[in-house]
Amino acid sequence: MTKYTIETKQLTKIYKDQKAVNNVNIHVKKGRIYGLLGRNGAGKTTIMKMILGLTSTSSGEVDVFGKNIKGREKQVYPRIGAIIETPGFYPNLTGTENLNIFAKLRGTSAPNAVKNALEIVGLPYKDKKLFGEYSLGMKQRLGIANAILHDPELLILDEPTNGLDPIGIAEVRDFIKKLSVERGKTILISSHILTEISLLADDIGIIDNGILLEENSMEELKRKNGKYILLQVSDAAKASLILERQFGLKSYSVKDDHTLQIYNNSLDMASVNKALILGDVSVISSQLCNDTLEDYFRKITGGDGIA
Amino acid sequence: MLKLIQIEFLKLRRRTFVWIMMFSALIMPFLAYLLFKYAWDTGGDPVQFYKWSAFGLTLFIVLPVVLGILSTMLMYNENQYDMLKQLWIVPVSKMRYFFSKFFVVLIYSVCFMLVTAVGSVIFSILLGDIAFDWQNVLFLIRKCLEIGVITAFAMLPILAIATTQNGYILPVAITLIYAFLGSIIVSINMYIHPLSSMAVIVARNGDIPGLNNTQVISIPLAFLSIFIWGIVSVLLANVALARRK
Repeated sequence: MTKYTIETKQLTKIYKDQKAVNNVNIHVKKGRIYGLLGRNGAGKTTIMKMILGLTSTSSGEVDVFGKNIKGREKQVYPRIGAIIETPGFYPNLTGTENLNIFAKLRGTSAPNAVKNALEIVGLPYKDKKLFGEYSLGMKQRLGIANAILHDPELLILDEPTNGLDPIGIAEVRDFIKKLSVERGKTILISSHILTEISLLADDIGIIDNGILLEENSMEELKRKNGKYILLQVSDAAKASLILERQFGLKSYSVKDDHTLQIYNNSLDMASVNKALILGDVSVISSQLCNDTLEDYFRKITGGDGIA
Repeated sequence: MLKLIQIEFLKLRRRTFVWIMMFSALIMPFLAYLLFKYAWDTGGDPVQFYKWSAFGLTLFIVLPVVLGILSTMLMYNENQYDMLKQLWIVPVSKMRYFFSKFFVVLIYSVCFMLVTAVGSVIFSILLGDIAFDWQNVLFLIRKCLEIGVITAFAMLPILAIATTQNGYILPVAITLIYAFLGSIIVSINMYIHPLSSMAVIVARNGDIPGLNNTQVISIPLAFLSIFIWGIVSVLLANVALARRK
């Protein structure tokens, strides 16, 4: 059985002449939170819509729960809870009445399912306030309550904290984390806010202009983008051999023929320089760098747009 | 399906306009009462009164316009507030969704005509010169039920158009044109427009004064016209709903 709850293979969506999603392969592992990070218009929502079968794919495949979703939507949907874009509800009904409708449609048998879902997102049960009078934040909370109402195994949340105040964002983040940690839910969440994703996701996919630029675990990304020594030398291969033999260094990466990135900051740079010179390797420069994740995202996406 | 229809009625909660529209079922009985009270004389014939209170403008204008507005209202929220994708991933079948709306229109239409029938009977009694007669009342109820059921089918094109639109204006405007065309076309060709075909079926025995057809009567052709329009409407709705994601 596959370890991925969602797996896309060469997923592509073309609108007229524009490639909105270009050969995207994402891998959402069971029980983990996968953050899809990208600017507005990067293709996050389109990917989520294609995963849900709400929009057709131009090419490629989507496997959900180990099988291609095409033609299996009716079996798969009851196992998924989703918010895509801004959740809409009936403005003439209260939050509870709206959720009762969806509970009825889904045939949710659990008693107090509506009450529990509302409690989780911090909305009052049987409140008299109509959905039409809700603030954007309340609407978003109700959307999340609807997504978790039937206790699904997989949650697909498209920018779920849109319109929430900072406290609301923190609350939503906490309960999404709880759903994953305590109840083993698999969660695919999209956002253009880096801090939100970095605080929440176990794995991350960075998308820009429809292309998945990087997919990695958050742990690995943080490791790659903490403090490091950037060493520019005449021969990177030779330098790496010297560093391994003389300093027992293992955590480094060779960026190109002349550049090394060393993740061990405790190295004595004077000794390193001496060893390299004695080993017939010229040291052009060495500097201590301290990249943040934000710097990294800016670098690989080529600019601004991620908060 | 029954669950979907129940849910459709739940969605109408606090939409007072839907229930206010039901009162318009009493407009024609009341106007007929005024007409016969102060201008004309029924000569004691209740069918003369019913012709004005339930069969004339109610059949061609009032009921179709009310049902057109209702159809638009039923589709409005989900289209306007982008709710359909939430329904599709429940999942709700697109055709079941459409037919649940249709059944609401059908039930509403039958209720509307029953209110019209009750109003007609009450106002005819208030008029004073029409004696209460069960046979005439049963005739009225039978015809009202026929009108209620068939008009709902004849309004399927409007329901289908409402699925394609986000707003109120176009479907309501088309409803008005559709209703007036129905009453105009009936004198030219009764089998082109579903509403005029409905009039053929309702007045098939020549027992409704003012609806005595001058053209060749063909009940199968009238049903065929409504059926073809209905099928085209369902196909249109299916395409429109498939695109709404």
